[in-house]
Amino acid sequence: MAEDRLHEVLQRWEPVIGLEIHTELTSSRTKMFCGCEVAFGGEPNMRVCPVCLGLPGALPVPNAFAIEQTVLAGLATQCEIARHSLFHRKQYFYPDMPKDYQISQYDLPFCENGQINVEVDGGGVSQRPDVGGAPGVTPGEDGSYVTRIGVTRIHLEEDTGKMVHVGGSEGRLAGATKSLVDFNRAGTPLIELVSEPDIRTLEEARRFAQKLRLIWLSLGISDCSMEEGSMRVDGNVSLRRRGETELGVKAEVKNMNSFKALHDAMLHEILRQAEVLDAGGTVIQETRHWDVGAKRTSSLRSKEEAHDYRYFPEPDMVPFEFTEEFVSGIRDRLPELPDARKARFRATWGLPPHDATVLTSDLDMAEFFEAAVIIGGDDRAKAIANLMLNDLSAHLNAAGITVTASRIVPAMISELVALVEEGTISGKQAKEVFSEMAETGDAPGAIVELRGMKQVSDTGAIETVVDRIMAQNPDKVEGYRGGKTGLMGFFVGQVMREMGGQANPAVVNEVLGRKLG
Amino acid sequence: MALSESEVRHVAQLARIALSDEQVATLQVELNSILGHIDTIQQLDLGDVPPTAHAIPVVNETRPDVPKPGLSRELALLNAPESEAGAFLIPQMTGGGDQS
Amino acid sequence: MTDSLDLSSLDASQIRSAIAAGDFSAREAAEAAFERIAALDGAVHAFNQVTPELAFAAAEKIDALLAGGATARDLPPLAGVPVAFKDNMNLVGTNTTCSSRILENYQSVYDCTAVARMLDAGALPLGKLNMDEFAFGSSTENSAFGPTHNPWDTDRVPGGSSGGSAAAVSAGMATITLGSDTGGSIRQPGALCGVVAMKPTYGRVSRYGCVAFASSLDQIGPFSKTVEECAISLNAICGKDPMDATSITRPAEDFTQGLDAGVKGMRIAIVRDMLEQDGIAPEVKAATHAMAEKYAALGAEVGEVDLPSAEYGLSAYYIIGPAEASSNLARFDGIRYGYRVKDAEDVIDLYTRSRAEGFGPEAIRRIMLGTYALSAGYYDAYYGQAQKARTVIIRDFERAFADYDVLLTPTSPTTAFKIGEKCEDPLSMYLSDYYTIPVNLAGNCAVSLPVGLGADTGLPVGLQLIGTHFAESTILRAARALEAEIGFDTTPPTVRALAV
Ligand SMILES: [Mg+2]
Ligand SMILES: [Zn+2]
Repeated sequence: MAEDRLHEVLQRWEPVIGLEIHTELTSSRTKMFCGCEVAFGGEPNMRVCPVCLGLPGALPVPNAFAIEQTVLAGLATQCEIARHSLFHRKQYFYPDMPKDYQISQYDLPFCENGQINVEVDGGGVSQRPDVGGAPGVTPGEDGSYVTRIGVTRIHLEEDTGKMVHVGGSEGRLAGATKSLVDFNRAGTPLIELVSEPDIRTLEEARRFAQKLRLIWLSLGISDCSMEEGSMRVDGNVSLRRRGETELGVKAEVKNMNSFKALHDAMLHEILRQAEVLDAGGTVIQETRHWDVGAKRTSSLRSKEEAHDYRYFPEPDMVPFEFTEEFVSGIRDRLPELPDARKARFRATWGLPPHDATVLTSDLDMAEFFEAAVIIGGDDRAKAIANLMLNDLSAHLNAAGITVTASRIVPAMISELVALVEEGTISGKQAKEVFSEMAETGDAPGAIVELRGMKQVSDTGAIETVVDRIMAQNPDKVEGYRGGKTGLMGFFVGQVMREMGGQANPAVVNEVLGRKLG
Repeated sequence: MALSESEVRHVAQLARIALSDEQVATLQVELNSILGHIDTIQQLDLGDVPPTAHAIPVVNETRPDVPKPGLSRELALLNAPESEAGAFLIPQMTGGGDQS
Repeated sequence: MTDSLDLSSLDASQIRSAIAAGDFSAREAAEAAFERIAALDGAVHAFNQVTPELAFAAAEKIDALLAGGATARDLPPLAGVPVAFKDNMNLVGTNTTCSSRILENYQSVYDCTAVARMLDAGALPLGKLNMDEFAFGSSTENSAFGPTHNPWDTDRVPGGSSGGSAAAVSAGMATITLGSDTGGSIRQPGALCGVVAMKPTYGRVSRYGCVAFASSLDQIGPFSKTVEECAISLNAICGKDPMDATSITRPAEDFTQGLDAGVKGMRIAIVRDMLEQDGIAPEVKAATHAMAEKYAALGAEVGEVDLPSAEYGLSAYYIIGPAEASSNLARFDGIRYGYRVKDAEDVIDLYTRSRAEGFGPEAIRRIMLGTYALSAGYYDAYYGQAQKARTVIIRDFERAFADYDVLLTPTSPTTAFKIGEKCEDPLSMYLSDYYTIPVNLAGNCAVSLPVGLGADTGLPVGLQLIGTHFAESTILRAARALEAEIGFDTTPPTVRALAV
């Protein structure tokens, strides 16, 4: 029903959304400013040292690899890479922050002015009435559209520790009487990407976050696990009357730690603001916290004054000067990115847009597909794609596993496709073979062998059977010849049963037609 | 620039220092006398002069991404005013701070 | 025999050779040092903590080397030399208090790089030395554990903030000590206590493990009675440290090389306009000019330069220093270590009262000043402007060093002042770093050399020899030449009397 209200609200109000996405560089072996290992979980305070505990006298030394990974991320999102940059101190007191300032970046981030293309198709399109003619929006075939979302900046900083609140309900702040602080995570390299407020619908927001995750995964800079918090999404939402160009007052929504949460939180925040505005009120600029349980955002306003971060250049470090050689050296490390891969899938194998999109939106599926095509041959690519998008996807969803976890390997898919295309088995048989190989992990050929499923196309053998069936059913033969052509089905069925379903239907029809006619 | 009493209180809040009214009064006087001297720097016309963060110009000081042994948990918690279950124990939070 | 062993009459190399020759053992050297501390430190209060177990363990290593047949050649450069460290330098087995209540019981869990390098050089760690709280001060009166007294006159301050480091050497309780210098905290107490004290070029010595005051200004340096010991100490502590991104990679240098080459042809200038400053005592001004003449007599080309921007040094320093300090001291919040109020009702209450009760008045003053200077709307007017002023000061020095190798100023405008004399007026206290501050802002190196007793006060006067970046060898050579020429007796008469 919230969806219905949204539809009604969207008639009057246009959401303007910008996302801030923090991602831990889990590909880095060590923390941002010390040699402690980067890992998830474990016993508290087991991966700490004087630097990441902020002990008196300890000094930070930046991790070269984390900086390179950040530049790589910038290049992958078409950012300009700063020639001159440095770290700043962002100062505020919080128990999970050892030094009571965060080493971050301020006016000289490593990456600025990039962009990410987000494709929206299917139901999501209806959330965007203005597809035609909206700036940065390109309508595509089959009713889909692509919108260009600007990347304001990507900067590098250090993650905080973690607090467990004791006495409240399951580790939540509310009602807690005391807290336990663990600094294992403190100092983990963290990149913050800030988007332009170019996002206009919930679907665009979700797709943007998913696309970014896919890009980060392609680069291998992070595991992007939202469950483990290695990827965290905050958003700024404001509403304005349709047709209006001025921006409305925005609220920042935090703690949206899944794509579902992102959708739900944005949805409820849009409805909340519409309610305020429709009642003639004004939205307050504030930070709001998404409460998954209560399905509502609530103000994070604290007793303390509005933040005054007192940024100043980190004096424990020296500036960075990136040469052209340095940047191009990192550009050389760029792998094929999702957009390029999708284009290649379409161009090389003529896959329809939707198929190409789905196959390239999951790195493992894309790898699997390419491997299967190498074995099966280019002209079988389409058939392989179909088998993957139908039987394989269905199987994986049902089993709730990823393709890498399944017993099915690319060679099986290409072999199965070959068996069908060479007429060795029927499409119907292929389904049986698929489910068996999914279960046993046996090769399709072996299964067909074992089950004696090879279909008979030998005309002679089929004629013998046809003659016998006709001899056994003279009346039906009469009937057919008398015009009851509907009996053809009866004869086909009889022949098939006789031959254990292994007769090639095409040949059976041909022979029957000839002998009855 | 002279500090008002409320500015002194605001700065103390930013610095997380609880000041008595007496301290606020004393500090307002002391800080303003120091600022009175410091403000001579405002007379300098330094429009086009670049700022210096470090006197010795060096760039790109980094470390390789190689793990180093850290502290045992015993040493990490050695100076903890209070600890529990291997973590630093603190009283309840009131009010959110910030997220990275 | 240790009763008769008086190390204060021996320099570092003499102690090392005597131990190598078997005149006395390293352990006996340590025992002698602790006996002298027991006899003198009641009056001086240079030490916050003594560490016999650490010293004897270090001595055992040296004695074991000798027992194993090691000869003088095999001994490390500071073998058996009694040393001590300012109490803002971490050393496992000690508390590192910064002379503050907030760290009163803080136990070091790792070693400061410079300290570790001294110990690797075979030195014997006697303990930790008193200082102004977090190095905020110029008299060591801002110590939470009581002031240190000047061995030349125990009613007077030793200077600061490294007052304990200067007094310990002056009283012969330690042969070499380390201090830290942000605006003069090594050189000024060195001058007031009549010892040799050097602030190396910024980045020469790792800051890792030294509790930060102002990260872009802090530098660790040695105190000793002779220029040669200063050079030997620099050899031990200098060099790139992978744990400090601001420490600088340089080809290794032996600062004892060419120490006695003299000053013939060396270009030395008095900083004329800085000597015209009001606060300067006539005896100090006179001594400074007299030393310039001695240099001329020794064959140096002596001239005069001006550093017009130096007058803005104090302002820039009292913005940059407190601004960086306010940030560096945020971590003392009662969460992970340090003083915590007992009955905090929530975290904000814990922060604000722990810090209010844990920090002394000067620390609170500087934190407030720095927080204000960085707060919204004031950054450009203060921190930004100060960083630009820093550029101008650097350019002034570059101009001067284009024509001269060494610049001369007094280290301090006056000799040691009375305890309590300047406590009521922070600003007058700040002014005593007038000559030393510009050197930190420009990152230069400088050494304070005792050049005699003031004509009026009869107390030690220090001459500051300033060199450009990485010119330590040059200023040490100039200092050594003058030291040899004037033969100043660094032993305070009171100490001679007090000593058993
Ligand atoms: Mg951030
Ligand atoms: Zn660490």
